[in-house]
Amino acid sequence: MSSNLSALLSATFYEAGDEHRVELVHQQDRKARRQLASLDLAVYDPEGKHLVAVPMDTHQEILDLGALVGSVAGALPRVMVLLDARYDERIFPYRPHHYGFLHHRGSTAPALYYAVNAVLGGVPDRIGATGLTTLETYIFLRRAFAERYSVLLGNPARFSTAEAQVTAYYATGRASQVVALPPKTHVEMELAAEHAGEHLQRVEIKALFRLASYVVGRRADSGELVLFDHLFSYHR
Amino acid sequence: MAASLRALARRLLGVERTPTYYLPWLTVNGLECALILNNVEVRFEPGKNEGPFPATVVQHDADGTVVGTSEVSVIDTEAAVEVPMAPTASGYGFVTVSMEHLRSDLYVTVSDGGSYTATHGRFEFVETYPLRVRILFAVLGRLLAPFGRTVPAFVRDQYAYSGRDGRSHLLLLNLSNVTNRIRVVAHWDGPPGAARLVAVPPRGARLLDVGTLVPAAEVLTPLALRLEGNAWFNLYLVGAGPRDLAGLLSLMHVK
Repeated sequence: MSSNLSALLSATFYEAGDEHRVELVHQQDRKARRQLASLDLAVYDPEGKHLVAVPMDTHQEILDLGALVGSVAGALPRVMVLLDARYDERIFPYRPHHYGFLHHRGSTAPALYYAVNAVLGGVPDRIGATGLTTLETYIFLRRAFAERYSVLLGNPARFSTAEAQVTAYYATGRASQVVALPPKTHVEMELAAEHAGEHLQRVEIKALFRLASYVVGRRADSGELVLFDHLFSYHR
Repeated sequence: MAASLRALARRLLGVERTPTYYLPWLTVNGLECALILNNVEVRFEPGKNEGPFPATVVQHDADGTVVGTSEVSVIDTEAAVEVPMAPTASGYGFVTVSMEHLRSDLYVTVSDGGSYTATHGRFEFVETYPLRVRILFAVLGRLLAPFGRTVPAFVRDQYAYSGRDGRSHLLLLNLSNVTNRIRVVAHWDGPPGAARLVAVPPRGARLLDVGTLVPAAEVLTPLALRLEGNAWFNLYLVGAGPRDLAGLLSLMHVK
């Protein structure tokens, strides 16, 4: 084991009733299996309250978030899960915990696979995060669907409040919202699917610090997730 | 070391690599599929952000045939062009987009009319093998196939999940011009489990139900999959709900 360990802070969101799994190590990292140096898992409510720190067995390959944090999430609509890993860069050709699987129990929507947000650290020159990662964008299909769209934002910082500007773009208009996120707080910000008769085309997030961020699409009638995706950085 | 040996083998065999941006497409059971082409990610990069940005889109069917080709122009970095995929009898395959002028991730969307799912493509390459290598792989492939084996020239590992409500399929993409026999072995809580050998036509694709690799269970079962192919390939994960392929599907790229 190297004395020069790399760090990766990743973030995702857990909602009650979800079947939600996260790869602790990527399977291709054959030598890395069961060699993750350490992993701390912490759970926060929307107000940033620390709910629980779960002792992790780094020998696991896949985490079952429902089993780990479901009971502490209780009646909360959503909790933020931070995964703070230490690993040897020589052992991991990529980085730990990359993909997630998400499906609400009983949902008729398809299961979703997604890439877990790498918020701090990782291997920047390998994950394409050499540019500004605090200015992100995402494009939507332009026709109207019976869906509600939003962005999930979380501030993983320990001390700093982060302000984020979320701008939704329409054919000719735009609508901006500004949110201040104290440390460890998180919020789901709705994006109007229509504005002045025009459909949502794109969203952009500007922040001074890197935030945990996901684009979310839910069926309008049932709220079932159909979209849970990362945004894309400018300056590739 | 392994990478340099692989490069040497490519040179000796006369294999050509062509940088290619590709995405999967799915129109099974009446699903609508469309690409979103854009160049928004270079919006703030002088010298790269002046349109128009022309691109050629080539849609390959599951058997590898070209279903359609279209010339598209993205006017500027704020524009997005939606390109519908032509439905076919097989209902899946992959599509390539020329990236001489585009430097942004491109999206692929799947819709049932009421809602849609999305993911993005990958900028990698396709490989072209000379005739002698194609003949060699054809001979070796036929010799090994009865034993459920293939030449493990390329190997990928991927986790996937199988459950009653949350189902998964693999969309195997053959990014070469030779028949690619891909062996998929599933592991779950123990020794190697079920294995499948899937022959994918040149530039073609195949859907493999992950649920066929594991005994049926009520609870969600994580599977560690190992895929070996005799030629260059990649895969997308296809997520399904309780209606399986009859319902809306999701797609996800892998590393």
